[in-house]
Amino acid sequence: MLNPSSVWRSPAVVLRLALLFCLLALGAGAGAAPFVLRDDRGTEHRFDAPPRRIITLLPSLTESVAVLGGSPRLVGVDRYSNWPAELAALPRLGGLDDALIEAIVTLKPDVVLASTSARSIDRLEALGFKVLRLKSETHADVRRTLSVLAQLLGTPDEGERLWARLQREIAAAAQRVPPALKGQRVYFEIGGGPYAAGRSSFIGETLSALGMDNIVPADLGPFPKLNPEYVVRARPDLVMGVAREQAALVARPGWGSIPALAHKRLCAFDTPRYEMLIRPGPRMGEAAAAMADCLAALAPR
Amino acid sequence: MTPFSTPVPANTPAAPDPQAQARNRLAWALLALVPLFALAGLATGTRGLSLEAFWADLQGEQAGLILGQIRAPRTLGAALVGALLGLGGALAQGLFRNPLADPYLLGSAAGAGLAVVLVLAGAALAGTTLSLATVAWLERVGLVLAAFAGALAGVALTLALAQGAVHTLRLLLAGVVVAVLLGALSDLVTVASPDALRGKQAFMLGSTSFLGWQAVALLAAGSALLTVLALRSARALDALTLGEDSAASLGVALPRMRLLLVVLLAGATALAVAHAGLVAFVGLVAPHLVRRHAPGAHAWLLGASAAMGAALLLAADVVSRAVIAPQELPVGVVTAVIGGVYLFVLLRRRGLG
Amino acid sequence: MKPANRIDRTTGTAPLLQCQGLHVALGGQPVLHGVDLDLASGWTAIVGPNGAGKSTLLRALAGLQPVSQGEVRLGGDPLRLMPAAQRARRLAWLAQGGQTSGELNVRETVQLGRIAQRGLLGALDADDARAVAHAMHETGCTAWASRPLHALSGGERQRVLLARVLATEAPLLLLDEPTTHLDAPHQVALARLFSRLARGTTAQGARRAVVTVLHDLPIALHADRVVVMQAGRVLAEGTPAEASLHRALEQVFDHAVQVRPGPQRAQVSLAIDED
Repeated sequence: MLNPSSVWRSPAVVLRLALLFCLLALGAGAGAAPFVLRDDRGTEHRFDAPPRRIITLLPSLTESVAVLGGSPRLVGVDRYSNWPAELAALPRLGGLDDALIEAIVTLKPDVVLASTSARSIDRLEALGFKVLRLKSETHADVRRTLSVLAQLLGTPDEGERLWARLQREIAAAAQRVPPALKGQRVYFEIGGGPYAAGRSSFIGETLSALGMDNIVPADLGPFPKLNPEYVVRARPDLVMGVAREQAALVARPGWGSIPALAHKRLCAFDTPRYEMLIRPGPRMGEAAAAMADCLAALAPR
Repeated sequence: MTPFSTPVPANTPAAPDPQAQARNRLAWALLALVPLFALAGLATGTRGLSLEAFWADLQGEQAGLILGQIRAPRTLGAALVGALLGLGGALAQGLFRNPLADPYLLGSAAGAGLAVVLVLAGAALAGTTLSLATVAWLERVGLVLAAFAGALAGVALTLALAQGAVHTLRLLLAGVVVAVLLGALSDLVTVASPDALRGKQAFMLGSTSFLGWQAVALLAAGSALLTVLALRSARALDALTLGEDSAASLGVALPRMRLLLVVLLAGATALAVAHAGLVAFVGLVAPHLVRRHAPGAHAWLLGASAAMGAALLLAADVVSRAVIAPQELPVGVVTAVIGGVYLFVLLRRRGLG
Repeated sequence: MKPANRIDRTTGTAPLLQCQGLHVALGGQPVLHGVDLDLASGWTAIVGPNGAGKSTLLRALAGLQPVSQGEVRLGGDPLRLMPAAQRARRLAWLAQGGQTSGELNVRETVQLGRIAQRGLLGALDADDARAVAHAMHETGCTAWASRPLHALSGGERQRVLLARVLATEAPLLLLDEPTTHLDAPHQVALARLFSRLARGTTAQGARRAVVTVLHDLPIALHADRVVVMQAGRVLAEGTPAEASLHRALEQVFDHAVQVRPGPQRAQVSLAIDED
């Protein structure tokens, strides 16, 4: 039976307590130590502490910050961010090309998260704000982004942990793809240009992880605007895209000859799920699952 | 000292007419270039402009599909859209007596843009209530109809604002006001609906990607009708070069004629824009080129501008398909580059008149 | 209202063009204050200082200017009620200043005059070709038939535009400052042309009434009748020999000119030397 007053005199306990105290101090100290982050434009940003007020101008970045536990620190998002629902009350600050500079400035963010290609953000940098530019075209980009964001939020391990979870989800989804469909060639359309998701895009990489092939090879880039003839010649086995446009594809000149369209081998995703599919963020695992569900539902030929 | 009284024999052969010679040269050139560019359009596919690939495609089993259903109507469609824009530009330049007028001046482009955006936004909303196939059909057919109706509505609004086609300057100013207003409305809608924004951007850049035989039939019928009507107004456009009062003194019913010209201009522009989006500069450069190198009366100018417009857009279409094959540039980007370079060269050489 | 069949003293014919109590306002400002005029065949010159309203009067007579009060009659028919096509066959108007746009050549420009007879859609036939050839011959443009209009000098272009008016074969010609840009020899030639047109001794034969607004007094005094305007009103009218007309001219031009009777016509000199 431990006498409370005697606990303090037990050297083992004192040692453990001291160790615990040191670890806690270190832990808190690690959070408080300044750190440098390099963004995808090569700019280095120095932070004295994890920022308390964050603005994101890209839906995938919003979602990543939210899933990494940074929701309480978000003070504003772009107009296209619509997940998770708890962020619905946050002020909307325009898009990437027409960001509401004044509104952003009024919110006094410690850091603004944007993509590498936003033009109007230069103004914010000129005004002295920290703008972290993050590219998100491939899986590698997403992994790096998650790592950077996790460091930004002061929980550097969360990035890798999340990534590992995504990998597991994708692998699980791959299990559900019917073997008969594996290796079939997919055409994933992103908007009526027609723009396609190529093999080197994050969508293409997910499809590859699911065991599917892509009619757009890696050397055409992640999101090429294709000559429609290309798709017809390639005769994809499966076509994926947003439901609203899928029904009209067969009416395009010459596209009626594509067997996938004639036989309705389509994955037509409704808008909320389509948005999830095209965002290179923490829901990529769910996206893979959605794709796998569709593939499983398509009866093999 | 009577300089006028030198008698001229009745049968003096006409002095050599350099302008007529220039017109002949241009006519032959266009007669050769348009089919040549059309052939190039047929020969441009996923491997760019390649006669070898074309020959292979011609003999391949998919010839009917690739060449017949995709490339042929697309090429023909590009030619017809270019012709309509060239005709519209010539009409605009004659009506406003300004060599830099283009067919989008009277609010047609802004009207078409707003209509397209409304249809896209509406389709996004309706996606939750109507069946998907219906929405898809509505979007496809609806976009063409919407752009056409929107262009006409934009011009009608301009006419209303200018209180009829009575004063040319007022027409121009009203066109500017309408373009700004409708553009602002369009921006408002795209703020509310990101789907509409995406579609609008594609529309603004212009594209011949999906022109099929149905579109070609519409374009051909429309072009034929508009060309006939436009040629009938050629002499009135000539009379306008004397000045509006002089034309009126010749018995030309100016308000009615102006209205007819505006309607023809609106029709040509609407038909072109509905099928290919807002293709830049063809309506400005085609008639301008004809004027500079082979000027003449409007009976010539209107037809030659149409042919020149066809040649220009055919060439731009080939470039847009060939340059980064199998990827494509939006054809409006190529025409903008061509137009920009042309105007730049023009400025460097001499005035823009 | 003067009776419509008032006989003209010089040429002995009924008035071709009449206006009565004409008031015209431009941009809210009254320009013509009640002009009464009877014009018969022959060559009539309208003169007056700048701002007297000469061009405005000519435009109103041509039916190109809305009239706030009063009426213009062409051969007894109210101009206001006449269809534009009919009016175009009966009178032709030449604008002041000769501004053109476009790239027509000389022959094509003169051919535009035939719209008055054939309309916008009528095909041109041999009669039209003849009228065009006559008009070009009378104004000395035949040699330039294929030259583009914008390649001509101001004076040459003026003659082509006059040819365009002649090609309409309208019996009444209203010409606003037709001698602008022309040098002396060509002004003389033009003055002779007007006389021939008025007498009907041109190759084409028909007698035409010519009304010219002129700044040039010596030429104006070769006309059959002179109308002197001042401040939107007709101050005086009469034949060039009348002394009352000479006094009116001197008065209207602030005595900057002196008009004296001469051997054939009146002589005009500018009073440049200061006393």
